[in-house]
Amino acid sequence: MKKFLLHILQFGLLLTIAYPLLLLLWGAVFPQFLKPNLLFVQGGTGHMHTRMEEVKHTGEVDILFLGSSHAYRGFDTRLFEAEGYRVFNLGSSSQSPLQTQVLLNRYLNQLHPKHVIYEVYPGAMELDGVESAVDVISNDTLDTYAWNMLWDIPHIKVANTFLYVWLLDLWGGRKTYQEAPYKPEEKDTYISGGYVQKKAIPYPYPYLPKRNWGVHTDQLRAFEAILSDLEARGISVTLVYAPITSTAYQSYLNQEVYDKIFHQLGDFQNFNEKLPLVDSLHFYDAHHLNQEGVEIFNRALLDSLKKSALYPRSCLEQ
Amino acid sequence: MLFNSLDFALFLPAVFGLYWFILNRNLKGQNILLLVASYIFYGWWDYRFLSLIFISTVIDYLVGLQLARTTQAHLRKYLLGISLLANLGMLGFFKYFDFFLLNFVEAFTLLGMQIEAAPLRFILPVGISFYTFQTLSYTLDIYKGKLQPTRDFIAFAGYVSFFPQLVAGPIERAAQLLPQFERARVFDHAKATDGLKQILWGLFKKVVIADNCAIFADLFFDPQTPYEGSALLLGAFFFTFQIYGDFSGYSDMAIGTARLFGFDLMQNFAFPYFSRDVAEFWRRWHISLSTWFRDYLYIPLGGSRGGRMKQIRNTFAIFLVSGFWHGANWTFIIWGGLHALYFLPLLLLQRNRKYLHIVAKGRIFPSFVELGQILLTFLLVMLAWIFFRAESLPHALMYIQHMFSHELLSFPVIPGQMGALAMTLLLIVWFILIEWRGRGSLYAIQHWGKNRPQLYRWSVYIFLIFMIGMYMKTSETPFIYFQF
Repeated sequence: MKKFLLHILQFGLLLTIAYPLLLLLWGAVFPQFLKPNLLFVQGGTGHMHTRMEEVKHTGEVDILFLGSSHAYRGFDTRLFEAEGYRVFNLGSSSQSPLQTQVLLNRYLNQLHPKHVIYEVYPGAMELDGVESAVDVISNDTLDTYAWNMLWDIPHIKVANTFLYVWLLDLWGGRKTYQEAPYKPEEKDTYISGGYVQKKAIPYPYPYLPKRNWGVHTDQLRAFEAILSDLEARGISVTLVYAPITSTAYQSYLNQEVYDKIFHQLGDFQNFNEKLPLVDSLHFYDAHHLNQEGVEIFNRALLDSLKKSALYPRSCLEQ
Repeated sequence: MLFNSLDFALFLPAVFGLYWFILNRNLKGQNILLLVASYIFYGWWDYRFLSLIFISTVIDYLVGLQLARTTQAHLRKYLLGISLLANLGMLGFFKYFDFFLLNFVEAFTLLGMQIEAAPLRFILPVGISFYTFQTLSYTLDIYKGKLQPTRDFIAFAGYVSFFPQLVAGPIERAAQLLPQFERARVFDHAKATDGLKQILWGLFKKVVIADNCAIFADLFFDPQTPYEGSALLLGAFFFTFQIYGDFSGYSDMAIGTARLFGFDLMQNFAFPYFSRDVAEFWRRWHISLSTWFRDYLYIPLGGSRGGRMKQIRNTFAIFLVSGFWHGANWTFIIWGGLHALYFLPLLLLQRNRKYLHIVAKGRIFPSFVELGQILLTFLLVMLAWIFFRAESLPHALMYIQHMFSHELLSFPVIPGQMGALAMTLLLIVWFILIEWRGRGSLYAIQHWGKNRPQLYRWSVYIFLIFMIGMYMKTSETPFIYFQF
């Protein structure tokens, strides 16, 4: 029995050394389709690398945007800056509350916002958070918050990516990466402040089957914790359900359940019920506005916020 | 509790530690621990159905003791009847009640009579078909005088509910497994190491091969979406590997886990996809069930005695019953019937026992004839799996009809999934090569690096663990055979 346990221990030690080495080899040699559980993508689809670089050099802001791609593709920082506000968009692809917590823990004290516009939609509450976790791990610092997130999302893709990034950082393997502000394949342009503008492309009208939004209790718990934390710090929050196409919106049968939850948790505005947007004119896919749509949405949001007591006064108003 | 879950990853070392460190050389204590652990393992899924296992255990324990006490034929038959009625009654009620009810109603509807009846829609207790057959073998063997009953209730309850093989086999005979509960077990380093290796290989088969194949099998078997013939062929191909990886993977993990506790379970799969005919396939696929039906159904029906017609009747009987055992659906019965039809020419030509040893024994490559035989058998088996996987008989027939359309020779295109498709095909090729290399063993990697240094062998296992880490599907998917 002693021999057996000793062998288990020795094998465990060897595995601890060999597994990361194999991971490095696989990560360096094979194309993405042959490494499905290692999702190290610098930049990603939402210019996450550039956003994370910029936020590190950003000072205090009036308004901080949080949320998924609906946020970084839906809140045009230029429109808010034109009104005299200092803003930053901290949205990221498929960002779920578990990643929002990590980003706030890192940057909230530094950005010190007066007001938070938190893009919420039921989809973020049903996500397991894997896609966003690997996006955050690939493009931002590895710290105790990232480590804690790994335990919150015990998924092999997150674990492998975390280990891979840690190994790369040992010799500065991530430092050489430069992300282009314009990505021709995606037709995306990064705008200073965290916004990503998409060049207009026709919307193909997909068929979307009817379904219900699900719920991931860990996400809901993290979401409530974020709101409590912001409240404790005296930061006002507006929860915003950004517009998606009417086809997509109507394909979900239990919107009102989440509307009720969001209403109970804070100042909630559902712009899907407020704006007369047209799928073929104002969107480039089922979930994202084109620039024309963004401008209509942002102006409506600004108008709405100006009427709200929570809304901070801009330096122009002061 | 699933073998491929974090719960089990904590459960197994805890039971292992208590078993060998706290209760070492204490047979009673070890058996009680195994019994408690088995009930926890099963109750993790749904504790309410523990009562069914307990009832089966008590009835067969008492029936076994009474059978040994009496020599009166009618009383012995009566006692056996109690065991059969109780065990098959529970199985029939939970598994087949709705099937018979709905077919009864449909038959009357065809005759122009309307009957109002609503199905009960019971949850099927996990593994009921497996442990029912296991416990039945005990009373049947005592009835036939092949086995003496045990007086040790704990050992018997442990035999019925032994957690490694409780929910999906191998279906162990009492004569094989029960004595192992009754004699002292000593820790054997080689056996435990072998068990860990087999668990590792079983896990690879399940979470890498079966779960990756499942994505495409589910996609192409979706009756709502039309696919071209070539994609449907791929769907059948992927399901063929999914069910093998899933079920044989479970068996490997079960056998390996049992070995950690000093038990030997029977081999359940012996590289069935390298069979040269269907008869050989059935000697290599789900061996514990095939032999159960042979011993408790085929032979009592007369087996191969009594003329060719009786032999054909008995062969069809076991294939049809075997199909029905898998599920209360006509698709399973047709699947069994199709295999009986495949078997028939071999039986008539008396070639059903031609291939008793593994193909190309002692050689690296098979001959062209052997390769052709393997491919033909594989295609026949794959065709039958379509009935097994389909949701209904019309779905299976439609699937086959579309598969053999003019689009069979087109290149399958699945938007956004071509990379994953290529990766899964590469994994299958790699898997086949390893299985081929190890086809003379109990499981493919049993003798990997046998005469090489320990570091070499460990490097191989580490690589396998890495492959699991890189290619596993991470959601805890239940094993297909749990539903049977």
